[in-house]
This record gives sequence, C-alpha cells and structure tokens, in this order.
Amino acid sequence: MASHGLTYDGCNFFRQRLVLSTLSGKRVKIKNIRSKDDDPGLRDFEASFIRLLDKVTNGSRIEINQTGTVLFYQPGLLHGGPIEHDCNTQRSIGYYLEALLMLAPFMKTSLKATLRGVTNDPSDPTVDLLKSTALPVMKKFGIDGDGFELKVLKRGMAPGGGGEVVFTCPVRRTIRPVQLTDPGKIKRIRGVAYSVRVSPQMANRIVESARGILNQFIPDIYIHTDHMKGPNSGKSPGFGLTLVAETLNGSFLSAEMASTPQGQGDPILPEDLGRNCAKLLLEEVYRGGCVDSSNQSLALLLMTLGQQDVSKVLLGPLSPYTIEFLRHIRDFFQIMFKIEVQKPSEDTRKGGDKILMTCVGVGYSNINKTIK
Amino acid sequence: MDGKVKEQKRHQQKHSGPKAEKKKLRKQGGTTEEDGRRRNPKAFAVQSAVRMAKTFHRAQDIKAKKHHIPLVDRTPLEPPPIVIVVVGPPKVGKSTLIRCLIKNFTRQKLGDICGPVTIVSGKKRRLTFMECNNDINTMIDLAKVADLVLMLIDASFGFEMETFEFLNICQVHGFPRIMGVLTHLDAFKNNKTLRKTKKNLKHRFWTEVYQGAKLFYLSGMVYGEYQTQEVKNLGRFISVMKFRPLVWQTSHPYVLVDRMEDLTDPEKVRTDPKCDRTVSLYGYLRGTYLKNKGQVHIPGVGDFQVADVNFLPDPCSLPDAQKKRALNEKERLLYAPMAGVGGVVYDKDAVYIDLPANHVNQQQEEVRPTTELVQSLIDTHATLDAKMAASKVSLFSGSAFLDPTDIDEQSGENGGLQEKHVWDPNIQRKRRKVVFNEDDGEEEESGSSDDEDDADSDQEEQEEDEDEDEDNLSTFLKEARAKSDGTPPVKKKKLEEGKEEMPVFADSEDELEMSEEEREAGRTGDSGHCSEEDEEDDEESGDESMEEEEDAANATLTKQTASESEEEEEEEEEEGALRWKEGLQQKASEAFLRQQEAAPNLRKLVYGSVAEAADSEDEEEELGGLFRVSRPQNSKKFQANALDCSRFNPDTSHDWDLEEMLNSIRDCFVTGKWDENQDAATLLKEDEELYGDFEDLETGEVHKGQTGNQDPAEQDSENDEADDDDDEAEESQVKVDDEQVQKNKRLEKKRRLKERFNAEYDDEDATYFDDLKEEMQKQAELNRAEFEDVDDETRVQYEGFRPGMYVRLEISSIPCEFVTNFDPHYPIILGGLSSGEGNVGYLQMRLKKHRWHSRILKTRDPLILSLGWRRFQTIPLYHIEDHNGRHRLLKYTPQHMHCGASIWGPVTPQGTGFLAVQSVTGTKANFRIAATGVILDLDKSVTIVKKLKLIGYPYKIFKNTSFVKGMFNTVLEVAKFEGASVRTVSGVRGQIKKALSTPPGAYRATFEDRLLMSDIVFLRSWYPVSVPQLYNPVTSLLLPVGQKDSWEGMRTVGQLKHDLGIRNKPNTDSLYKPVVRAQRRFNPLHIPKELQKALPFKSKPKQQQPQGKTPKDLQRPSVIREPQERKVAALLNALSTVHHHKKKKAHTVKHAKHKEFLQQKEKQEEAKLKRQKEARKKLYRVMGQMDQKKQRSSLKGAPQDD
Repeated sequence: MASHGLTYDGCNFFRQRLVLSTLSGKRVKIKNIRSKDDDPGLRDFEASFIRLLDKVTNGSRIEINQTGTVLFYQPGLLHGGPIEHDCNTQRSIGYYLEALLMLAPFMKTSLKATLRGVTNDPSDPTVDLLKSTALPVMKKFGIDGDGFELKVLKRGMAPGGGGEVVFTCPVRRTIRPVQLTDPGKIKRIRGVAYSVRVSPQMANRIVESARGILNQFIPDIYIHTDHMKGPNSGKSPGFGLTLVAETLNGSFLSAEMASTPQGQGDPILPEDLGRNCAKLLLEEVYRGGCVDSSNQSLALLLMTLGQQDVSKVLLGPLSPYTIEFLRHIRDFFQIMFKIEVQKPSEDTRKGGDKILMTCVGVGYSNINKTIK
Repeated sequence: MDGKVKEQKRHQQKHSGPKAEKKKLRKQGGTTEEDGRRRNPKAFAVQSAVRMAKTFHRAQDIKAKKHHIPLVDRTPLEPPPIVIVVVGPPKVGKSTLIRCLIKNFTRQKLGDICGPVTIVSGKKRRLTFMECNNDINTMIDLAKVADLVLMLIDASFGFEMETFEFLNICQVHGFPRIMGVLTHLDAFKNNKTLRKTKKNLKHRFWTEVYQGAKLFYLSGMVYGEYQTQEVKNLGRFISVMKFRPLVWQTSHPYVLVDRMEDLTDPEKVRTDPKCDRTVSLYGYLRGTYLKNKGQVHIPGVGDFQVADVNFLPDPCSLPDAQKKRALNEKERLLYAPMAGVGGVVYDKDAVYIDLPANHVNQQQEEVRPTTELVQSLIDTHATLDAKMAASKVSLFSGSAFLDPTDIDEQSGENGGLQEKHVWDPNIQRKRRKVVFNEDDGEEEESGSSDDEDDADSDQEEQEEDEDEDEDNLSTFLKEARAKSDGTPPVKKKKLEEGKEEMPVFADSEDELEMSEEEREAGRTGDSGHCSEEDEEDDEESGDESMEEEEDAANATLTKQTASESEEEEEEEEEEGALRWKEGLQQKASEAFLRQQEAAPNLRKLVYGSVAEAADSEDEEEELGGLFRVSRPQNSKKFQANALDCSRFNPDTSHDWDLEEMLNSIRDCFVTGKWDENQDAATLLKEDEELYGDFEDLETGEVHKGQTGNQDPAEQDSENDEADDDDDEAEESQVKVDDEQVQKNKRLEKKRRLKERFNAEYDDEDATYFDDLKEEMQKQAELNRAEFEDVDDETRVQYEGFRPGMYVRLEISSIPCEFVTNFDPHYPIILGGLSSGEGNVGYLQMRLKKHRWHSRILKTRDPLILSLGWRRFQTIPLYHIEDHNGRHRLLKYTPQHMHCGASIWGPVTPQGTGFLAVQSVTGTKANFRIAATGVILDLDKSVTIVKKLKLIGYPYKIFKNTSFVKGMFNTVLEVAKFEGASVRTVSGVRGQIKKALSTPPGAYRATFEDRLLMSDIVFLRSWYPVSVPQLYNPVTSLLLPVGQKDSWEGMRTVGQLKHDLGIRNKPNTDSLYKPVVRAQRRFNPLHIPKELQKALPFKSKPKQQQPQGKTPKDLQRPSVIREPQERKVAALLNALSTVHHHKKKKAHTVKHAKHKEFLQQKEKQEEAKLKRQKEARKKLYRVMGQMDQKKQRSSLKGAPQDD
C-alpha cells in the first residue's frame, strides 16, 4: 500500500483534522503540538476528544509520543451505537458535539451518544445553539427521520459542568446535494434564556432586554425561559441566551451568549447579556447566508461528501475556522470550492456581502453501513 | 431444390353464410366490445371486489416493476471512446475481427494489434478496441472496463470454457453489453447442420446473456478477412448501440492506458537498474471525475498515489460539429501508440516517436503505411538533430533556408529548452527528451510579473510557455519531416482550418505564425487571470505588469525577426504585432476592471496562501551561528497552536446601536421591503393578469383581466421603459444591449407562463416517480451548466478531471519490473479509488461456490479474489449464520448454498460483487471460477466462532450431584464457567455449580439424573477464530514477458504437500484394518437365591440339565425281585387297574346324573321366572290404570262426587 498520510503542525484545527481523517480514511500525523509552550503536548480536553473518537470508531490506531507533542492517527471504521462519554470540562460539550455531528451520519449503526460535561460556556458553540441550527442544516442534506435529536437532560455551566446531553442520529448511505441559494426573509425569532443555580428572574430579565432590541424588526419573537433546578442544574451557577432567527426558506441564523464562568473575569449583568446577544444576532443577520457562521464548516463538509453533483450554498463571510476547513477539505478530499462573492445591490438592505460556495461532491458513500 | 414447385390451393373467401354475415357486420359496426357490454352487462359487471382489487394490484405491481430508480444523468457531453473488448478462446479470429473493423471505420490497415486502438467511428462516437487474451487476469481486468464485449465463438467447435468464464466474470463486475459473434461458419459443409448449430448456439447464448441477445454471424473469410458487408453491418450495430451505466464504473474514475513512458532519470537507472521508476501513463479518463493526487490501483501492479495529472489535447478528437452526414477521410482518426500508430506525439515532457517494442527484435515483414514515415526517421541512425542540421527548411518558397542553429537559439531564448537524447535499451527505442531549464523560465517570469506570491499562476504561465515551445518545436519537426520525405505529415495538431489547399511550406509558416499569436494571446489571458487573482494589486502595478509584458513581447518579437533575414517579412511581423497590441490594450483594461470588481479574492485567500505560509517557515535567524532565536510568539506558530474554536467573532466595526447599521439589515425580515418579483402586490397583479378573466355566473358580469384590455406590446414597452430606467442607472457599470434584454424578458415571461401551465395540467397524474425523475433531471442540468463557461484549467480544480479528457498521469515509485517487463498486449488499467478504499480491513461477504467448479472450497486455503479494481490473494474463513446470529465457522463451503466468508482485504463498498479463482496460472481446472459473491459488511474486527467441547470425567457421584475433574486446570477457569450447562454423552443435562479446592480445576455439578462413573461430561462452548491477515495483490503485470499468466502466490497446504511429496501421517485409529470378530461368550444367568425362592415354580430355574453319570459310590445297585415278589407286584398292579376302571365308570355315571339334575333345575327356574314376569305384568297394568285414572280426574278438576 502506498502511503497516503498527511502531516500537520500544531494543535490548531485539531478536530477538523481528525474528523476529516476519519471520514476520508487517510492517516494523519500532527507534530509540534505546543512544542514551544511551557506546558507542552496535548491538553486534557484534546485527550478526551481522542478518547471519544476512539469510542465511536473501531480499529483506529492512535499513537502519542511521550511528551504529547506528536500525534499519529490512523482511522478505523466508524462504528457508532450507544456510547457514553465524560467530556473534559475545559471545553464545553459543543466542542465534542461539533465533531460528532460531522461523523454521526456515516456510522455503521445509528449513534446514541450521551455526553456529560459543560453544556454552556462562552467560548464554544453551546448545545442549544447546535440543537437549533446544526440539526436543521443536516436535515436539509437528507439526514432526517426519527431518532434525529439532541436533548439537553441536565444543564451544566462552566467551569463545574455536570450537564448531560443525549444526541441520537440515524445513519445515511449517501448525502443529498443541496441548492441553498436563497435564505429568504426572517419570519420569526425564537430563543432560549436559561439560568441555573441563580435566581429564575435572571432569565426573564434577559428576555426583556433582548426583546427590546429585536422588536424593532419583527414582532414574532418568543424567547423561552428555561430554569433548571436540583440535580438537573449542574455544578456551577450561570445564565445565558440563545437566539435563533428562522427564515421563510427554513434556514436558521443564531447567536448566543453565556455569562462569564464563576470566578473568571467580571460578572455580567443579565440585561447587558440580553442586549449584547440580540446585537450578536443582528450581526449574524447582517452576515446572512443560508447557514449561520458556526455551522459553515458542517454544511461545507456535507456538500463535499454528497453525491457527484453540484451543490450550492450561500454563506455569510467565511470565518477563519471555515477557511482552514476548506483547506483541509482540499487536502483530504481534493475538493475545491468555487467561491463567488455576491455583492448586495445598492437599494436592498440585506446586510453585507454574501458568498456563494459551489462544489461537486466526491460521491462519498457510507462504507460502514451494513447491508443485509 | 428443383424449379418445379407445386402450386398451392389459394384461399377462397366466403361471400355468404353466417360467417360472412358476421364479418360484414363487424366491418360495418366495428363496436363488438361495446356491443358485448351492452348485450351482456352482467358478464362485465364487477363480480368480486376482492378479485378486482387483486387484478388492480397486480397491474400496478407490473407497472411499478418496470421502473428503475432514477439516477442523475452524469454522462459527459463529450464522452470518452467506448471500450470494446474482443474476447474469445485462442485462434478464433479476434485480431482479424479488430483489423476488419478498424479497416471498416478508418480505411487503414493495422498489422499487429497490441494495446488499445482508438478510432473515430462517427460524428459523435469513438471506439477503443482491446483484444483480450486467454489469461484469466486479462479477462478479469478487461471485464471491469468494458462497455461492449464482442464475444467470439468458434461455431465449428462450439462454446469453450473461456466464453463461459468471461460471462461469469462479467456478471460479477456489472454486466456490460455483450454481443456474440460466431466465426468459422465456413467450416460447415452441410447447410442443415449449420442452421442447427446456429440455433443451438444462439439459444445457449440467450440463456447465458438474456433472451434475444444479439448473436452475429460472420459467415466466412475472403482473403484472410471477413466479408466486408458483414463487418460493415457489425460496425453499424456497434455505432448505434446504447449502453447502460454500470455502478462500479460510474462511481470510479478509470483510465485504460494506451501509452506509457518511463520518466526516470537515465543516470539513476544506469547506476541502479532496479530502482523504482517514475512513469507517465496516458489514456482517456472514463467513469467519473478524477481528482489530482488521488489514489489509484493498477491491477496487476498495486496501489499508487498519483503524483500529477494533466489533461492533454485529444489525440483522437471528434470532428467539429458540422451539418454533414459522413466523416471525411481526415476525420477518420486512428490512435494506437502501443501499436505504433499515432506517430510523433508531443506533450508536456517530451517529443516521442513511438515504435512498437518488438520492432527491433523481429524486423517487421510488412511495412505499414502509417508508420512508414516514423520508421524512415528512426531507421537512419543519425539523430533527428543531426538530420535537421543537415536539412534546410525554407519558410517560404524562394526565401532563405532556416538553420537549425537558429531554432536552437530561439528555443533556448524562449523557455530554456534543451534536448537530450535517450536511447532506452529496455524499450528498444530512441527518444528525444526535452529538458527544461527552470531558471531561465523563472527569470523571465519574474521579469514579466512582479508579484512573487502568485506562485500558482506563475506555474501555469510557465506551463503555457513550455507548451508553446513545444509547438514551436513541433512545427520545426514537421518541417524537417516534410523536407526529408516530401510527404505531408501523417498526423498533426490542426491549428487552423481552411488553409489546407495551400502548399506545404506555406502551411507550416502559417502555423508558426499562428502559434506565435496564440502564445501572445495565452499570455495576455494569463495576465488577466493573474491580476484577477491578485488581491493587493493596485492600479499601477496592473499597468506596470501590462507594460512590462508588452516589452517582453516586443523583445521576443525582435529576436524572432532577427532570426529571419528578409526585410519584408519583418514588416509583416510588425504588422501582426500591432494587431496584437491593440488586443492587448483592451484585454488588459478589461482584466483590470474585473480585478476591481472582485476586490477581496476569496479563492486566493482560501487556497492560495498555503504555499506562502510554508515558505515563511524556512526563514530562521541564527545568532552567531550558534543559537537560534526561539520565538514562541511567532505569528505562524502562534496560529498553529491557537485555540481550536469554530466561533466566528463579530466584526468590531459594526456598532449595532446606530440607526444606519440597523437599517442595513431591514430587508432581511419579512417586515422589510420585498423583491420586485416576490412582493405581494406584484404577485397579486400577476395573478390578475393570468386569472383575471372570469364571469360571475350569478350576476352575469364579465370581468376581464388587465391583459385583455391592454395590448401585450404596450405592456412590454412599459416594462421596457422600467427596464430602461434601471439600465440608465446601471449604464455606467455595464453596457447592456436593449434588444437582448427585451428578448430575454419575453422569453422569461413565456417560460414562466409555460411553467405555470405545466404545473397546473401535469400535476394531475404526477406520481412520486415522476417527481423524482424531474428532480434528477434538474440536478443533471445544473451539473452541466455550473462549470460550462469556466476554462478547463480552472474547471479541473473544482470538478477534477472530467471523463472524456485525455489525461497524463504521472506515477512515481513504480516497481522497475513494470517498465522492464512491459508488454502492450496486456491491458494497463488505472482504477481510481474513492476515499477509504485504499485501506485494508476485514470484509464479510456472502459467497457461493460456483456450481460448475468441481470441488468445494476449504477454509484457510488461499484464494485469489477479484474485488473492485483489485485482484489479490487472501485467506478466507467460511462461516454460516446460526439462528441466533452467531457466525459459526465452516470447514468447507456448502455444496449448493450460500455461506459467509470473512477475509482481510481492501475496504470496498458494500454491495460490490467479487469472484474467486483458486489460481491464475494456466488452465488446469476445467472451470476456473471457484466462487462468486458480494460484500456485505466491513469492519475492523470479526466475530467468527468455532465449536469447542471441553471434556471432563466424574470422579465422585452422589445422588444427582457429581464431582467432575479434568475439564479445567485451575479454580479461576471454573469460576469463569460457573452456571454453564454441561451434558453427558448419554444425554443427562446438568450445570456447573462451584469449583472444588482439590484437585485443581475440579468442580461440583448437578445433573438431572444420577451419573455413572463411566459417563463423560462435556461442556459445549464457542471459541472465537481470527481471520489470517493475508492480503497479497496479484502482481501479474510485473512478471517477465511471456510469463505473465504464471503468477503464483501462496500455495495451499495441499499443494505444498503435493509439491514437496509430504504425506501426513494419518491417525492410526482412522486407518482401515481387517475386521476380526471374537466369539461372544455370555456368563450364565445368576439369579439370587432370595429371588429364586420368590419366583413361581414355572419361572424358577430348573436343574434340567441331564445328570451326568452318577459316580460309582453314589450308584445304587439294581434291585432284583424274587419270583414271589414279582407275582405279588403283578397282582397288585392288576387290582389297581380294575379299581381305577371302576372308579372311572362311577364317575361318568355320576356326572351324567348331575347333568340331568341341572337341566331339570334350569327348567324349573325358567318356569318360575315366567310366572313372576306374568304377575309383575299384571301388577303394573293395574298400577298404570290407576295412575291414568288419577290423572284424568285431576285434569277434570275437583271431583264433584267426592
């Protein structure tokens, strides 16, 4: 067998590399992981991620050197099934879930993952955000049906964690090509204002302030308050808001904000949080596109893994993460996207430049799925 | 037959009678069915709802069965040549048929058919012929790439196994179209046997392929060729044939290689002849898109990473689209580099003059007209260079001769081009390799464009340059040839049409000029491209680069002109240059505009800057040559180890408190302003237009739509006015033709109306199937349209290389045997592997021994599988699934059943078929295909188990509990099996309870009955079996020429023993020995005394055995009576006799008397009974009467008299 491995430097975009390696079957070697750092090598959350990857695959080979600065990963086959994972609390469950979302449709048996850890923290996309935006994106690609859901059983804020999330996803053999070129107009805004281990009044205060800003645009706003108590409330106090704007054509744009973790930085007022989050949503609306900024890479991946047909997706400006993801897609799948900038015309007031991404899928078929 | 044919009686039509009447009636009325319905309505009524439902259901089933799952039509616009594989046993006429077909299509004769031969057969069709020899490797490989199989059958002999083997191979790897061709039909002398044979063969062929499969007859040979008319017919069949897409072929890119070049550095080969080679392989890309740097498998060689892919101009292109019926002679192209046709070929690496590999070895008898020219070039042992030095070429008649030194100079100037003569001893071929001087080119590049980071475009440009240089060279080569032979070149790249009538030299000059122009055009185009890509380029730099380029172009031109001495020509050139300059100006300005438009070029941002980042890594400062500066905060390093987070932080410049910011997204909401064509008001208006006409039936009022009142032209003009307004606003940016807009507008409107109409009327009976089909159709259209207007160079980056392109694939580190043992008769296939298919894992498959294979297959015997593109040897384990889902190992495959098989092999998508052969060497077996099957599952682990019986012996037996030993060795082992069920040979079931401390491994078990000491206890368990990890690709192409069909892999144990003469020692118990039966002896039956006592006398054992002689001491002496005593005894005897007699008599008398008495008594008794019965009767009667009386009186009511 000819060698077909890829080598990378540094721990950035760690998940992308491992996920794409698993999907493409190409082995990957990551060198110089924080080699110049005072605390060299892989961090706990990365190790936890590798462990999660090991749980969902069968036969993968993972080699890490003594200091943890070099990682070699030879992917196995995606197995799926019921798994349980205690995610490291350094990163929220969203960190792990983003990768699982990419892998889940291509397993041998449908995935039922129970993840425990931090459900909401300020740095990563939270579980609520992924639930309200990533799942609809995947539905557009034909990943649908019963048992496609993401449930927040317990909420756990950073830094203590203690949340629990169940993610189930059916298996698909092929992915449908999509043409998402028209996002449509926003018809409603929904959201979840959550609070744990603080006064339930916090959520209401958040809602009030967020509505104050968003009401200028559209009256159909409903922000659900979610106050979890007792064993479902995790280990740390906190609150936050997730806002989702749904358009007529069924695309979802979202923004979120969470309170600063206990004992880290200045505390934030719920009113400020609500207002800022609403502004973030406006920013997201300004960016626009059929897929919101945190799911760009997911949509692009599913386009890549589609059948050998042309797929198109209109996106807002590409995030740095997405740009790197595109490069990785080229490395692993030899797929290049046609990137066209769509300038908004003068008289329409629809936010900034949009980017039309076009590609031809690789014709990926789920080789893990058993046929009977 | 003699001419006298007996005349048959003609048919007489009836003119009268009932039949004639009926017929007349039918002719008049013609409504018999209707009639029947009316006449006999009951017969046509619904008799049974259930049956009706059934018939309806069945009809629908049949209808649905005809549907295929609609697929997106991904056939390319210009499809690759159709691969026609000609198969058949040896000496059946394969080569002859190919030769005849080629002659039929191209009017050219081809001597030796080796390698694929590509021809243009029609305006839209090209064919690639490939001959398949009798090697099973070749058959397997070619079945995978064939579009059409011409299966030659020797009719005089009948079917041969090869035919059936090939059919089976085809069945497994997707079924290409198969057409049978019967040859050797002239061997039949008798017409009747011929007919019978044809029929028999046809029917057999039909059962194998499908009913009605085409079987072609080639009746006989004329001068060693098939009859022209028959070949022509066959050709027609081929050229109109339709093909169905095969799953494997449409999902994988593949190339049937028609040319191979060794690119290895000759010096390296000289120092190490066994070094790995770098080769370039050429061929038409088929199947699907091929990605650069992808993985490919070459069946017979192995897996390789493609180092580089380029597309080349089509060497056998389809004619330009023109309205005419037939091809002219020039368009009937033939391309077969391996067979030596295709002449001189120019491409990226070098200029090749192809000759068949066997040319030098066996001086070809007949000189073919097509290669004549090439041969004349080669046969002279002077190099081309030397020849060119000797030859003089003039560009115009009467002009000065062109000197080769000029050319050298020129080419050196242009691209830093050098020639290198390579005599490749392996291929027996002389080649002129073109080596490029990289530095020169780069220098020039840096001169022409000053942005360094534009590496990609630079390279492209350089490539372009090289191409151009080659073009130059090619023209010179042609000239040289034209000079030396005086014949026009056989094949050349046609650059310009319509100048064919001009004399040869003029023509060549034209081409030269053309190429020059093209070169410039290419340059300008490039500059446009590069400026479009460049992000930071501002106006000045654009202008600068343009100017510089102009200068550079001028410089080259002046050089060119210097090389030519005549002044007039110089002038001409100048004119040309002027013309070109005008174009340049405009193009540059256009390019600049484009650049301005696409301000942040994202493509470059995303894909372009990677190389840059890699460059910056190299620069590392050193302090005093000892220490290196460590910079943890180095920007790149920092980025490499940054936080891995997908969150996209918002742009800080946006302040969402400002009203204008808020206004900028107003229209994103439903409350905002809508588009013209989506606005509710407009939509309503449109509806009015379309559906405005209606009549209110109640009032009788007629409403008219607006269109009714308005003239459509007026409305159009109105629209146009609106458009015009818009246009005026945009006029500064884009110039639009009004006419065009108007036309488009009309067309658009028409289309919309039509769509609406269709939606209204077609949706009535549109099924799910129709919808699906339409969806696929739409997708196909989109696929076609998306990249249509992008140039090929960019397009291949997005899509990959399209099927139908002629590509050159460079593969490095291929084993040297591939080159040294190259045999063009064997097909080389490059099969692309999709993601994940390059890995190895466990495969579970469903397998069935082929019913024609004579022996069943044994587990762990190595087997050669053909799966996907690959052929490999592996060790399968056969298993069968039990009812509870357990995979139980089988020692042998079942005779006539499917079974599972697990192997260690290349990961291949499920549903892929495979076939197995036991060996690929020779044709020893009568049917080589051992098994066929399909992949079910892939995994990195397998769960096959085999039965394991653990045996133990009871050593202490209590009632139902026994202590068992010998099954396990330690207490721990027992602990693992606590609760397991055990059984004895006699069928007593039990359970393991607990381990005993001594002896180790003994345990207590309970049974459902008491055991015997002689019982054997066993425990049935399952032991997992591991699949041996053998994956051994069949490297048949690497074998020496002539031995390619003798690949031998791992041998089976049986073969090894056979070859080494080892006989394994049989178990002595299994040997047959003469049967000796010992006489059975039974012990006497012993009955205990107690029992004997209890027995009845009948069952008591009797001492019946004859008593032996009583011993003397026990013998009593015999008594001898006295005469007196004798008399007494006699008297007593007589007396007793008398007494007995008397007694007997008395007894009989007494018996008789008693009998009489009994009779009497019986009589009396009878009488008595009778009497009693009478009395009873009387009594009952009286009682009955009384009863009646009583009843009657009670019925009458209360008795009055009482």
